Amino acid sequence: MSWADIVFERLKANQLKVVCYVPDSVLAPLIARAEADPFFTMVPLTREEEGVGVLTGAYLGGWRGVLMMQVSGLGNSVNALASLAIPYQIPFLMLISQRGELGEFNPAQIAMGRAARPVLDALDIQHFTLRRVDEVATLMDGAVKTAYTARRPVALFLSTEMVGWKEEK
Amino acid sequence: MRDKGPINRLEATQHLVSRAPQALVVAGPGNAKFDLAATGDRPQHFYIWNSLGLAPSVGLGLALAQPQQQVIVLDGDGGTLMNPGALVTMARLAPPNLLHIVWDNGQYQLTGGQPTATATVTDLAAMGRGAGLQHVTTVTTLREFEAGLETWLTEPGPWLVVAKIDDSPAPARPPKDPVWIKLRFMETVNR
Repeated sequence: MSWADIVFERLKANQLKVVCYVPDSVLAPLIARAEADPFFTMVPLTREEEGVGVLTGAYLGGWRGVLMMQVSGLGNSVNALASLAIPYQIPFLMLISQRGELGEFNPAQIAMGRAARPVLDALDIQHFTLRRVDEVATLMDGAVKTAYTARRPVALFLSTEMVGWKEEK
Repeated sequence: MRDKGPINRLEATQHLVSRAPQALVVAGPGNAKFDLAATGDRPQHFYIWNSLGLAPSVGLGLALAQPQQQVIVLDGDGGTLMNPGALVTMARLAPPNLLHIVWDNGQYQLTGGQPTATATVTDLAAMGRGAGLQHVTTVTTLREFEAGLETWLTEPGPWLVVAKIDDSPAPARPPKDPVWIKLRFMETVNR
């Protein structure tokens, strides 16, 4: 199975029913699979911080979910995480497509890619990185479990080692 | 009084909660949540203490997860202008049980009354229509607000209501503990 197959299966197994996302080329196959499955409620966002709000409301109503985005979207979401998810103790999974690390061609992707983990550390949001396909299921299940125990978002980075990097055009 | 604008936010909020006592109410930062608290603190109020712009997003998630319940969002013009994308996402998902009320007085009232764009050039109802919302209205008097509620609460939405209000201060304050607000709210929702 590909990393996307495993992520898809673990989203379902963990009842992460609401999928909030801003598209990204790495996430595209996963988004397409989830869209085709009526189990999921898909929420395409205009900007990633909206997703923090939608997942907060969904959690209040008894639903679990995931926020899928490129690492730049984490930058767009910082105050929403700090002012809503953290103080109100709202758990969800963040699945973040990494840019700015191995194989990056775009200078404008470097700084946010490099800042992502320090930003999460500053917010005391736990994060893990998916580097190998055989670790995906364990890290998915573990991250979701910890998020709902801690009542706090947990982030999983999709490394370019595992998903490949974007071709320069 | 009731036939003359602008609307007094507290009077309209009082009418709203007495007309829809079972509704789940998400109130955005600033005076929207202060005047909701002034109507009497209740478990079905979710007060957002910061996060300007996210009240409609929270209301959207809640309305999707609780399709049998009426969800009402109370926000201001400043909050709407900070996150106009929320109108777009609301239009795309279009939960029929969502009523989004924007108290519009054309100013950032809490920070000293600096004018917002709605004081001069921007029309939030037109933005809502442009975003793709099908049920959008503007009301300028309490009588219009009261009459409109009968429609907004009974006919499928989502409804975007832009209510032109005055700049009366909102001295009441809701509870400040976010976790307590959340747990109490969730207990009510899932009862």
